[in-house]
Amino acid sequence: MVKINNLSIEFKSEVIFKKFSLEIRKGEKIAISGKSGRGKSTLLNLLAGFIPDFSGEVFIDNIRLEPGNIGEIRGLIAWLPQDTSLNFDTVSDLFYAPFGFAKNKKDIPGKDEISEIFKAFELDESLMSKGIKEISGGQKQRIILASCMLLKKPLVLLDEPTSALDENIKEKVTDYILDKKDITVLAATHDAYWVDNSDKEIKL
Amino acid sequence: MGKVIDINYFELFIGYALLLIPVFVFWYYKTGLVKDTLFASFRMTIQLLLVGVYLEYIFKLDSIWVNIAWVLVMALIGAYTIIQRSGLRYKMFIVPILLSGLISIAVSDAYFLGFVVKLDNIFNARYFIPVTGMLLGNTIKNVVISLNAYYKRIDDQQTMYRWYLANGASREEALLPFMRHALRIAFNPLIATTAIMGLISLPGMMTGQILGGSNPNVAVKYQIMLLITIFSSAILNVVLAIYFSNKISFDGYSNLKKDIFRPKKELALSRDKLTISR
Repeated sequence: MVKINNLSIEFKSEVIFKKFSLEIRKGEKIAISGKSGRGKSTLLNLLAGFIPDFSGEVFIDNIRLEPGNIGEIRGLIAWLPQDTSLNFDTVSDLFYAPFGFAKNKKDIPGKDEISEIFKAFELDESLMSKGIKEISGGQKQRIILASCMLLKKPLVLLDEPTSALDENIKEKVTDYILDKKDITVLAATHDAYWVDNSDKEIKL
Repeated sequence: MGKVIDINYFELFIGYALLLIPVFVFWYYKTGLVKDTLFASFRMTIQLLLVGVYLEYIFKLDSIWVNIAWVLVMALIGAYTIIQRSGLRYKMFIVPILLSGLISIAVSDAYFLGFVVKLDNIFNARYFIPVTGMLLGNTIKNVVISLNAYYKRIDDQQTMYRWYLANGASREEALLPFMRHALRIAFNPLIATTAIMGLISLPGMMTGQILGGSNPNVAVKYQIMLLITIFSSAILNVVLAIYFSNKISFDGYSNLKKDIFRPKKELALSRDKLTISR
């Protein structure tokens, strides 16, 4: 699903990646760990096309990461940012925003799908009508995660997906996502439970 | 109609005494704006006096090519001012901003002077130059505000923009909320002033016409048409400015180029700059 050959990235003369290679098979659940500043987010950002200056080769589903292919690649991924301060009025605006794009319109989730994932993430459906400022950081993170998962993209990139969650909810969310058979999940995380339950850990 | 009372240079000088109020306020609150205020007033005076002289000749001459050249110079100065005020890079933005200005002027002038006033020659100096000047002068503010709001917001809310892109949005889809924001910020005040026009303010052009001896009825009709023309011209200019500048402001991956802003901000912006390792 993801193939990286000889990746080098330098940040203001500080080397983040040097001749880094990686191969991820379809359906694998990969945890990227390591201290902050070691490039966990950078790796996810790279795959989403946010790091234009790199050397080496990157392929996603056999499509080479380059300007001409970026639209196609972004059609294959869902991305959860580390910083969840997204600017919306209501929870429902936030949740449905990605489904407004032409590429995702066919995947607008039905009532049952939403109920199922909200239940799994311990979210009350009445949250939908609330203002974005009325909900907690943990709730917001789960709302964005739910939206992300319902996009049903083959490659899911998650940046600190459980950072704002309480211990018991954290495990439920982790189990739900890592049990999804057909998707490939690449998560930058500090969380031991997530790392232990992933197929593989990449230490940066 | 009564004859217009001319203001002689001594009276003009007495009028300048009003500047003491802003100068005193700026000085008292230590705003650092005293020098700027005096310089701006000085520039304004020289420019307008020169324009007065030029216009007299240009009106007498009334040559299509001189009139067009005059308007081109105005548009160029307008584009330069817009870029300067929005903190963007001259080299990158001069073409898109100038182009958007010229197109919006051409459309508005052709419509207003050609279809509404029905001039035989829309390049008639007495109409073409002041009307274009008003259009440019009034749209610059809106273009500056919208460009500022647009690019600053994309930069500030990078996560939001990226979240859209990385979850399947095309660049146009991801830019839509920023476009919406820019239009709202730039045009809300104009909508508000349009709505109260005539109640608490008499617009400058109308006042000028009335002082100049025109029938208030005629002055009002011109003013209404001008306000509407300015509004649509400003919208057209803003949308085109953003549309054309979009073509140069993003890299191949639709990321906002960090070097579109002028160096003052370079330090803050360099945090994300990555270079190829060698």
